Amino acid sequence: MGTRFSHVVLGSLLIAAVAATACAKRPATTQASAPAPTGAAGTTGGTGAAPARPSDFTSPGSSGTTSSAQPSTAAPTTSGGTATPVRPSPREFSEVAELRDINFDFDKYDIRPGDARVLDSNATWLKGNPNHLLLIEGHCDERGTNEYNLALGERRAKSAMNYLVSQGVQANRITIISYGEERPLCTEHTEECWAKNRRAHFLVKPR
Amino acid sequence: MGRRVVLLIGSAALVVLVSLFALRPPAPRAQGVDVFLNVTAGGGKKLNIAIPDFTVVAGNDSSANARLLASVAGADLTFSGLFNVVAATGAIPVNNPDALKQSWTEFAAAGAHAGVHGLLTVRGDRLETEIRVYDLTSPEFRLIATRRFELPASVPRRLAHKIADEIVLQFTGEPGVADTKLAYVRGPRGAKEIYVADYDGANPVAVTRNGTINLSPVWSPDGRSLAVTSYVKGYPDLYRFFPFERRPEQILAAFAGINSSPAWSPDGKSIAVTLSKDGNPELYVLNVATGVFRRLTRHVGIDTDPSWAPDGRQITFVSDRNGTAHIYVMDSEGASVRQITTGAMQTQPRWSPKGDVIAYTTRQGTHDIWVVNADGSNPRRLTTGSGNSQGPSWAPNGRHLFFQTDRLGGWQIFAMFADGSEQAPITRGPGDFTSPSWSSRLP
Repeated sequence: MGTRFSHVVLGSLLIAAVAATACAKRPATTQASAPAPTGAAGTTGGTGAAPARPSDFTSPGSSGTTSSAQPSTAAPTTSGGTATPVRPSPREFSEVAELRDINFDFDKYDIRPGDARVLDSNATWLKGNPNHLLLIEGHCDERGTNEYNLALGERRAKSAMNYLVSQGVQANRITIISYGEERPLCTEHTEECWAKNRRAHFLVKPR
Repeated sequence: MGRRVVLLIGSAALVVLVSLFALRPPAPRAQGVDVFLNVTAGGGKKLNIAIPDFTVVAGNDSSANARLLASVAGADLTFSGLFNVVAATGAIPVNNPDALKQSWTEFAAAGAHAGVHGLLTVRGDRLETEIRVYDLTSPEFRLIATRRFELPASVPRRLAHKIADEIVLQFTGEPGVADTKLAYVRGPRGAKEIYVADYDGANPVAVTRNGTINLSPVWSPDGRSLAVTSYVKGYPDLYRFFPFERRPEQILAAFAGINSSPAWSPDGKSIAVTLSKDGNPELYVLNVATGVFRRLTRHVGIDTDPSWAPDGRQITFVSDRNGTAHIYVMDSEGASVRQITTGAMQTQPRWSPKGDVIAYTTRQGTHDIWVVNADGSNPRRLTTGSGNSQGPSWAPNGRHLFFQTDRLGGWQIFAMFADGSEQAPITRGPGDFTSPSWSSRLP
């Protein structure tokens, strides 16, 4: 027996509305945007640049970019990289003293004037050492959330890359990687520490 | 003629005697007994339920599962927020109607409205159970439901969770969420691995052991796999792991740039994901069967953190296109983009499985979890106080959320009700526990 027991779906279950608290309004800051993305995101070259069309919010629809996954989803793999783009392992890159970090304001990815001079110097070294490939790491401080910071770190690395390309460094020498907030230089919870962690870091390897 | 028993439970949070009214409705709809667990908005009205230790009917219960089943199911019912569990010791004797009646008489006197008599048979490596649910508000302690569950003896807690979910179903019409899983990231920055545990944090098992950075585990709707961003090959690529199968992980996306922030469509056929292969972080939808990506956003700013509406027709996401990260909604083809929040930096929108609200993380000095109606109205804060709270993940019934907080020091996973009440730790121990993902009900 027992199936005679019929259910009554209850309405709202204990979900008490908490007092509505409106977000504090704050004027949206308009930030200087980084140089428009150009070129492929890495040395693999297979991906074209997206045109920067700020007003185009609408669906790409049938004209949108449709691309096959690089690896087949049917390819189970731990060895898996067979169909992945040819990306040099980040471990193969190492630091050189001549290439200095640049830093960023909180939640920003535009290049500050002082950092542009650092990048000018980095560009000069890179043009004088054309046999080296470059890896640019983008990093964030611990504030913000993981997924957004991965994107923010990507934008920071890309901003640095775009600047270097604008200074004559070949785009196909450059690979970028975002570590988001995952690899801080400094682990204290202070603004001084956070400022160090918001950075683009430069590593090279011989071709 | 059927009779409907309406239990109007007082609002006390503790076990107290409450008012009971047996009503005879003028036109009963169903034969038999309808029990209304009258849980209303703003409520706190709970049903007092007794779950004594299970009665061992046959076999050797050397692992004391008779007690474990009662205590775990009782904890599940308490967590549900729908029940107060009336304290009990010992088991009701087997095949002894007088003893059963005496037990229910005592539980009823202690304020119980319902009693669960669990019967356990240990047969080899199987646990066979029968639960009998009694209405203790009826003078004759009417039996109102009988159910049987059987699982291997190796997973007694899961058996208890299934029993608890059935009891919730009996009283509310919707099963509970105890038989679900929690996925999370454990480890310090630079060495993060994916784990899977029961929804209450028990039975944690490592899913990844690659010694790199593994992020953002998200359950597929069938509860069988996890989408994960992993640096196992050096770069942040998107994988699918199968934590319950001897099956290697799949690479889902390994484009130049980031392959991050996965979100399964409700039908499990697609994954919304952030790729930067075309220049900057944009949202795409991956058809999991064909491997084809469809681009959704096209903007110079950051677009990431997607989450699907339960009907699959809309996606909420984060964009900084107006200068600061805020929450947006678009249809699942990428059209009709609209901003639904303003103010401070907001990320991690997660659409409620009921569809009505979106939870998200706001950074105003520290991070806190908020919810907003899906149309952007009535934003309200769920977490306050010291420390940061972020990474909301909904229970499949929309009544609870997991989130991560560092209010106790290191990061731990907590749970709370959808109104922010009853925030309590799920994980414990050293190491940071972050990025919770609450599975659907297991099959």
